Amino acid sequence: MRLAAYYWERTKRQRPAMAGLAFIIFLIILAVSGPFFTVSPTQVNFDEKNIPPPGFTLEQSIYNASSGGFVTTVQRGTWEHPLGTDGMGRDMLAMLISGARVSLLVGLLATGIAIIIGALIGITSAYFGGAMDSVLMRATDIFMTFPFLLLLILIVYLFGSSLTLIIMAIGLTGWTGTARLVRSETLSLRTREFIMASKALGASHLRIIFYHLLPNTLSSIIVLATLSIPGAILAEAALSFIGLGDPQVASWGNILNAGQGSLQTAWWVAVEPGMMLFFTVLAFNFMGEGMREAFEPGGD
Amino acid sequence: MDSENGDKAILSVSGLRTYFFTKNGTVKAVDDISFDLRKGEILCIVGESGSGKTVTALSLLRLIEPPGRIVEGKIMFEEKNLLDIPISEMQKIRGNRIAMIFQDPHSSLNPVLTIGEQITEAMTAHRNLAKSEAKAQTIELLRLVEIPEPERRFHEYPHQFSGGMKQRVMVAMALACEPSVLIADEPTTALDLTIQAQILDLFMELRKKFSMSIIYITHDLGVVSELADRIAVMYGGRIMEKGRRDDVLKNPLHPYTRGLIDCLLSESEKLASIPGTIPNLIDLPEGCIFHPRCISAMDICRTERPGSSKIETEHYVYCFRYGGR
Repeated sequence: MRLAAYYWERTKRQRPAMAGLAFIIFLIILAVSGPFFTVSPTQVNFDEKNIPPPGFTLEQSIYNASSGGFVTTVQRGTWEHPLGTDGMGRDMLAMLISGARVSLLVGLLATGIAIIIGALIGITSAYFGGAMDSVLMRATDIFMTFPFLLLLILIVYLFGSSLTLIIMAIGLTGWTGTARLVRSETLSLRTREFIMASKALGASHLRIIFYHLLPNTLSSIIVLATLSIPGAILAEAALSFIGLGDPQVASWGNILNAGQGSLQTAWWVAVEPGMMLFFTVLAFNFMGEGMREAFEPGGD
Repeated sequence: MDSENGDKAILSVSGLRTYFFTKNGTVKAVDDISFDLRKGEILCIVGESGSGKTVTALSLLRLIEPPGRIVEGKIMFEEKNLLDIPISEMQKIRGNRIAMIFQDPHSSLNPVLTIGEQITEAMTAHRNLAKSEAKAQTIELLRLVEIPEPERRFHEYPHQFSGGMKQRVMVAMALACEPSVLIADEPTTALDLTIQAQILDLFMELRKKFSMSIIYITHDLGVVSELADRIAVMYGGRIMEKGRRDDVLKNPLHPYTRGLIDCLLSESEKLASIPGTIPNLIDLPEGCIFHPRCISAMDICRTERPGSSKIETEHYVYCFRYGGR
């Protein structure tokens, strides 16, 4: 589509957006290819606990089986574990890559669910107006005021914790902003003459919604989606951090949680997933901002 | 209610009233109008802004949105009263049997879709066509409305078209299902004069080619004199005078029609005008709504609404000066 090519040209000029995009692509490649070159992220080895990244050292006492006591040794980082190991001897690189997979999955899927629900509710609300609009928008208001983290905690508490459930929960609670944005855009679109012209030519409601309204709101939806991915990622990290994440998978949130106790000694266990979260969120934000700028009319 | 030679009419409107129920009161945008449209003829509805021309057109397709509502009337088309049929059936008539072209071609096309997609959409809304077939027919239509290089233009977006070309695209969309009635709501108002003439030629040609009936809405008497077979003059939501073109233009009877024509043909230095302004449609004057501005108003005009008087075959005027009871 020529329009897409045009927007790509304009987005390309936004440097931070391109840096963000490069980082995200890099992350996706890592997440997909990770299992082929790293050890299992769940492989525990207490002999190799708290190994620092290469170039750093850590003084710690290790139980020595032959002498039957603790000896203090200086741990040196090795290239076998380029990002070190955690308190249970698990490879940090492998865990971070597993975490990247979790974060991307949550970010993309949960946002996808939220955007689809939000867009449908927003368009329906604005297009039909009247009672439909009132009911849907009051429902949105209620959803908006509801403390979302509390709801997530409740859901996880009630139904147990699995990644699927967390994705669903974040998606099903995160659509309100999209609904409002899409509604306001549709409100101005529906009075445009081409909607009336299309009706005059016999287009059905469904046809108008999916053929005329949706494509015209798509640019804002894409921008909003990109900007809400970090929210979803952070929500999952927050849940994992307070111990309500999926215990079966290594995610940045629960690595961070595990590392916070040993921040004074094995600082890398907490700092590394923290940095990953920071850069990932930043990358999506840069990209979203850049696209917003590019999609804005009259930017040339 | 007047009785015209309704037997030949393809579309027959009688007693149509469309009101808008606003917070400030009821706006009687269309208030008891009747007219017939015959096969292959061009009926021009003439009137100034706010006289109810567009609302009349939208009412024919039942596209009036709240707070507006068609309160009363009958729109007979292909032996059905369009006001009685369910909305799903109405949808099958829109675009398919009766199509409409809007005033501003710049805003009547969806900016994010190519014009090819949009014409194809109009075509497939009512007909089952294979994609390649629809595309071939769309290109044929573009050629018909005289858009050069239709194969290339098919893939272009509305912003790559000039105003006149966009209006041709709109005409092509309206013709996509070969409707028997075409409603054109001031289709040339947003275009400049030379383009306007070309579009008018196009309408004349289409009428000849498809023996299509056209309702052409305009405020431009110049256009009317060129295009119309018959004319209905509207003022304040009512029809003031209607009849064959030459009857109405050469022998205007209603003081309002006369005033309109004087505005156009005034030979004196000063441009003639009708004193006063169009009435507030919420607070309509009693009796004939034109009486406050009428130079020959009588006492009865202030209290009673005039009915139609038949002057000649098909020439009707709503004025007490010619009977009107």
